[in-house]
Amino acid sequence: MSVKETNDPKIIAFCCNWCTYTGADLAGLNRSHYPENVHIVRVPCSGRVNPQFILRAFRNGCDGVMVCGCHPGDCHYSTGNYFTRRRFTLMKRLLEYNGIDPGRFHARWISGSEAGKFRDTAEEVTAMVRKLGPNTRYREYARREMSADE
Amino acid sequence: MNDNLAKMREAAKRALESGDVGYVIGWGATKFPDKTSPLFMRKPEDAERLVWNEYAIPGIAKYLLDDLYPDKPIGVFVRGCDSRAINRMMKDNRIKRENLRLLGIPCDGKDDERCTICRNRNPLVYDELLWDEAPTPEPKDRYFRANAVEAMSADGRYAYWSEVFDQCIRCYACRNICPACNCKECYVDMTATGFQGKQHSRSDNLIFGVTRAFHVGDRCIECGECERVCPMGLPIMGQTQKILKDINELVGDYESGVDAESENYLGVFDLDDKDEFM
Ligand code: SF4
Ligand code: SF4
Repeated sequence: MSVKETNDPKIIAFCCNWCTYTGADLAGLNRSHYPENVHIVRVPCSGRVNPQFILRAFRNGCDGVMVCGCHPGDCHYSTGNYFTRRRFTLMKRLLEYNGIDPGRFHARWISGSEAGKFRDTAEEVTAMVRKLGPNTRYREYARREMSADE
Repeated sequence: MNDNLAKMREAAKRALESGDVGYVIGWGATKFPDKTSPLFMRKPEDAERLVWNEYAIPGIAKYLLDDLYPDKPIGVFVRGCDSRAINRMMKDNRIKRENLRLLGIPCDGKDDERCTICRNRNPLVYDELLWDEAPTPEPKDRYFRANAVEAMSADGRYAYWSEVFDQCIRCYACRNICPACNCKECYVDMTATGFQGKQHSRSDNLIFGVTRAFHVGDRCIECGECERVCPMGLPIMGQTQKILKDINELVGDYESGVDAESENYLGVFDLDDKDEFM
């Protein structure tokens, strides 16, 4: 994945197919506008998200990462998001411990009907990451320079 | 000490003479007086080469993964930390109890930093105990590395870990020795997946450090082997200690490897887990 050099933040949102992705879809149907900085990656369940995805996103040039899934109790696969909750509670603390600003990583519960919440979250996260500026930590410089030449 | 060594040689010899075990794993001398190396005894007379002193520090349990389908059970001397490593690998379904003959040797603590945080000197799983158990002295600060790093600012922590992992040569010795790091295949060898490259760069080294810690974090038995084997002497337990500290904060007393039944923290969930997401 190559990333274009801009000053505008690039945010990856890992969205669960059954809730948040549907919520984002609904936001589109409602013609509500959310920042184009947020790039959605659809995953079958928020439990599918490997903490390494987040590290890889930072490595390849993202400034912020979101992991979104169904509210606890609403998981399409019954229990997936409970594992997500444990995993990312630890991961969030570990990233903070390693000096990544807590504003760069967010985990949210957004259901299929919460189009407004999706839009608000996208706006809030974009504003926060924009204030923090481009991320340099964990970033793979060699690869980034190569893609800027293209 | 010599008494105990005689008992160990005797036990190894007995086991090998009876033919119950294929071989016995213990500690042998090296050409350095203050180092020992793992010793594999196949014949009864090999037992004479066994050593047991304050330098018998290396963990020997991980070698069990090199012989998963032995013809005869494997004899292993187990201190507290080795027994926890064996519990960990049994729980992870990598080794089977019936393939092991565990000779329990309550440890007297070694001249090593990691032994100051030891919580179990006495083996937690064994077939026979060679001498009497003694109580483990009160361990020192369990999260000594993590506490020191946590006291820094966010930028300071990033600078600290950058400095540490800039020195990492990515030899993966820490992965190879760790009893919790027991997968058949490791993501670090699969460079085509794109998680991490082969080059020596700050980002890849840092990502390796965090990922290694996260992969073992909740299953870490706090044996300190990773730091012992690191050729660059990096304080990498600082990462795993942080994860264990958080787990202990979130769910109360949690320790890995104390038995072969209890689930590891990330392998299960609780409906009432703390919800910090919005
Ligand atoms: S202390 Fe190090 S070697 Fe021992 S279990 Fe934990 S991570 Fe693995
Ligand atoms: S043992 Fe040390 S140098 Fe080798 S990969 Fe691990 S941290 Fe890096």
